[in-house]
Amino acid sequence: MIRRFLEAAGSWCLFLRMVFRRPEKWKIFWKQFVIETDKLILSSIIIVGVISVFIGGVLVIQTASNMSNPMLDRMLVGYMVRETLVLEFCSTVVALILAGKMGSNIASEIGSMRISGQIDAMDMMGVNSAGFLVLPKVMSATLLSPLLMLFSFALGIFGGWCVVEMTEIIPAAKYIAGLKYAYNGFYVFYSGFKMALFCFLISSISAYNGYYAEGGSLGVGASSTRSIVVTSILILLFDLIVTQLMLY
Amino acid sequence: MIKVEHLYKSFGDLQVLRDINLDFEAGKCNMIIGASGSGKTVLLKNLIGLLEPDSGEIWYGGKKLSDMGYEEKSRLRQKIGVLFQGAALFDFETVLGNVIFPMNFFTDWTEKEKVERARFCLDRVNVSGADNRYPSELSGGMQKRVGIARAIALNPDFLFCDEPNSGLDPYTASLIDNLIHGITEEFNITTVINTHDMNSILEIGDSIEFICNGTVLWKGDRHSIMHTSCRELRTFVGANVLARHMIDESE
Repeated sequence: MIRRFLEAAGSWCLFLRMVFRRPEKWKIFWKQFVIETDKLILSSIIIVGVISVFIGGVLVIQTASNMSNPMLDRMLVGYMVRETLVLEFCSTVVALILAGKMGSNIASEIGSMRISGQIDAMDMMGVNSAGFLVLPKVMSATLLSPLLMLFSFALGIFGGWCVVEMTEIIPAAKYIAGLKYAYNGFYVFYSGFKMALFCFLISSISAYNGYYAEGGSLGVGASSTRSIVVTSILILLFDLIVTQLMLY
Repeated sequence: MIKVEHLYKSFGDLQVLRDINLDFEAGKCNMIIGASGSGKTVLLKNLIGLLEPDSGEIWYGGKKLSDMGYEEKSRLRQKIGVLFQGAALFDFETVLGNVIFPMNFFTDWTEKEKVERARFCLDRVNVSGADNRYPSELSGGMQKRVGIARAIALNPDFLFCDEPNSGLDPYTASLIDNLIHGITEEFNITTVINTHDMNSILEIGDSIEFICNGTVLWKGDRHSIMHTSCRELRTFVGANVLARHMIDESE
């Protein structure tokens, strides 16, 4: 099993070497970059937005219900919601959601192209198929996903505010005061960095699985499933490593 | 011209190609024929560099394929057109986009010049009025024709076709055969066609190599194939009713 893992890791590194070869034409790369941004980032806005609003609201209720001690300032509800969102939800949980949405999209798209001979056709033209198909996806997912994290953070806060306004579980002024309390800008950077790293893993590992898919439509399905499982595990593993390195 | 010397290829314990020696001439339809599983597609994939031989050499106009680096192989591939069995058109591009695709990478032509060239290629294969349709909206025959148009878009020196008329009705298959033959002569291309279709073989087989169990058993052309004494080839040819009648008549 360890040998298989090392072989796959080595093969993934060689694949990345092909992907990061200089593009044949930058104009084509930028065109693909815009297309992939639309497919991977913009199309994820709705799902990320909906989940963030609801999680923000739920966090307010759960935190408030666990802070019934009158010695604790109700302002801490806002503070804890903010910290939970920025430290873990907006990067790790959103990345796990994207591992399913973005990862299966990339693996199945590239896998279908592999089994229908389209990748062979590109290679035969002298086009670096890995560079053309994968580089724009990886770059777009890695560079622009921190914006998705910021968007999720803002909507999570908004969702919490909506619940505060609707239920009056705590005074809105206390919630807002808590959001401003002991703000640490480094946490936003840390979360954005994690998101970029996770999306790099999602896009590159899913593309790798799709690129080497074999065995017809069943193989495409298997590569898609494998991508989601592997990236989900790696996201959790790297979450631990990055948190230890950056926060402790 | 393409030359193959002592080519061997195996997958694990399975020896697929054994000591293959071939010469493919320019301006001719060079056919690799044989039954399913005989090693035709593996040979073709070795020729176009999608597989690496275990041993042996492939020469393109005096240069060894194995000596070429990434850049040189990339330049060579720009001179190679390939028509895949399923046409392998890009789903994300329209018909026009598919033909323009290689031009985007390897030419500095203006948009207008690219469209003109693509339309010329599409006209040459008798596809018109389908510029903005996607591959999924085309019939099998039309996909093959667009595939040929894309393959000749950059004026290739070499054209490889993997079972160009599989899955097509006899009339459309004949059209595709004649189209490939016409283009080969018109542009003096070295064309290599992988097929087991007897109609194609008899119609456009200028030079024929018969492969059986991974070795070349017979070489000839469409005229001599009916008079062969090679038992395996007679069995292969005789499987086609019309060809069997022709053999009987000639005997």
